[in-house]
Amino acid sequence: MGVLADLALGVVTSIGGFVEAGSISTSAQAGAEFGFELLWAVAIAGAMLAMLTEMSGRLAIMSRRSLAAAIRERFGIHFHLVPLTAELVLDLLLLTAELGGAAIAITLLTGIDFRWWIVPIAVLVWAVLWVSGFAVIEDGIGLLGLVTLAFVVAALKMGPNVHDLARGFVPSLPGHHAVRYAFLVVSIIGATVSPYLLNFYSSGTLEEGMTRKVLWANTATTYAGNMFGTGVSMGVLITSAMVLHPGGVEIQSFDTAARMFAPVFGPWATTLFALALGVGCVGAALEITLNMGYLLAQVFGWSWGANRPRGDHARFSCAFTIVLVIAAAVAAIGFDPLRLTTLAVALTVVIMPLMVLPFLVLMNDTKFVKDRTNSSVGNAALALLTVLGALFALVVIPLEILGGG
Amino acid sequence: MHIVRDLLDTAVVDRNGHPMGRADRVVVECREHAPPRVIAIEIGPGALAARVGRRSGYWIAWLLNAIGFGEGQRMRIGVRQFLRVTDRITVDVSFRDTAAATVERKLQAVVRSIPGARS
Repeated sequence: MGVLADLALGVVTSIGGFVEAGSISTSAQAGAEFGFELLWAVAIAGAMLAMLTEMSGRLAIMSRRSLAAAIRERFGIHFHLVPLTAELVLDLLLLTAELGGAAIAITLLTGIDFRWWIVPIAVLVWAVLWVSGFAVIEDGIGLLGLVTLAFVVAALKMGPNVHDLARGFVPSLPGHHAVRYAFLVVSIIGATVSPYLLNFYSSGTLEEGMTRKVLWANTATTYAGNMFGTGVSMGVLITSAMVLHPGGVEIQSFDTAARMFAPVFGPWATTLFALALGVGCVGAALEITLNMGYLLAQVFGWSWGANRPRGDHARFSCAFTIVLVIAAAVAAIGFDPLRLTTLAVALTVVIMPLMVLPFLVLMNDTKFVKDRTNSSVGNAALALLTVLGALFALVVIPLEILGGG
Repeated sequence: MHIVRDLLDTAVVDRNGHPMGRADRVVVECREHAPPRVIAIEIGPGALAARVGRRSGYWIAWLLNAIGFGEGQRMRIGVRQFLRVTDRITVDVSFRDTAAATVERKLQAVVRSIPGARS
């Protein structure tokens, strides 16, 4: 019964913790500009994330190592410096964007410039990380994040045409703005398959002490949680497609995106959108900050863990504190959080092969995963998707920046 | 034993299971008329930076000295002190008694002075 309760909680928290600044902004932009046409991209990104998180959990259970530790041990520091640096830079960029997104959420409620809220939000994130254990952080994010189900409620209430929805799941060539369409495909994948999630999930598996006996629970939680979580991202896209697309609204800021709730939630639209955005962003900021602490501690072999007093793992505690201070300082400069998010999620796809390809090697090394190696179909699908995605992104991002399409 | 696969970059723990770092360098003795043999491993940011490149080793050493964390930035542990080599290297050393623990102790003093760090 205990395992089933944990499983249910794991699935529920996965749903609540799924959407944040990146997934809300990219899905909302996709819906507003292309209607239901990009639903297939959300589905593929969700499937990729489910496969990768299941693997990272399996790696941690079988090898008793996190992903970062396993990469260092298998490939050595000379190789690891490249993906490590890429992930640290990207995580910092994403953390800055999440702090900005949470600040924008408060601005939507108060009207006070978002830059004033960056430092209080960073202090809140730090305080939660400083005093809470891993389970409190993970379950808290997930349960509070259930407010994001408002996107699913809105989508259902709008009553989309089932036939039109079904057509959105079939990849198609766009009728207009091909470069923008391709850029949004890249952004949706980047917003969903964030590299930090993989190391965070493997570290969490170790924090929770999961063993080989519950490998099935790891599989069930990751697939069910990500499937329902993808449903929330689809809710954002569908609501945006039904409310903003007919009027030709382009989302240039989170305030514009908030208008998607107006027909369903009336006077509560902005408040509900701000809550969903704020909780999603704070949740992601907590996970990214903690992951950067994990990453540095695991690569350098320091003691780490969110379930022991912070004083017991001083280097780990200082590491996550310092990265949060840096991100808050950058965010306070006042970069537009939406633009920063868009840049971060698109770059994610470019560097994804650096993370995924070594990961796939590990998942086929019996020293690490013993008899639980990957199937060749899973390997081939993920390797192909990440390499093609990166090549595609390398073409599309410059074209988008140059204003092509 | 395979030096690169089984020693280099492997996690190192002291006799109490406390993480000390990773085997950032392996010290090999070259002998005449005999195969080379591993005599020690080195742990610490100084050792790691020197492995990455001579220049980075110099800069990291300079930086650590400048911020007061110069002590114990490179610690050598002889193979005679190895207790076990499995998926980690357990050594017959108490981390708390090493110079490398100085950084940990200094940071602990700061961290523990912040409310909530002891709970």
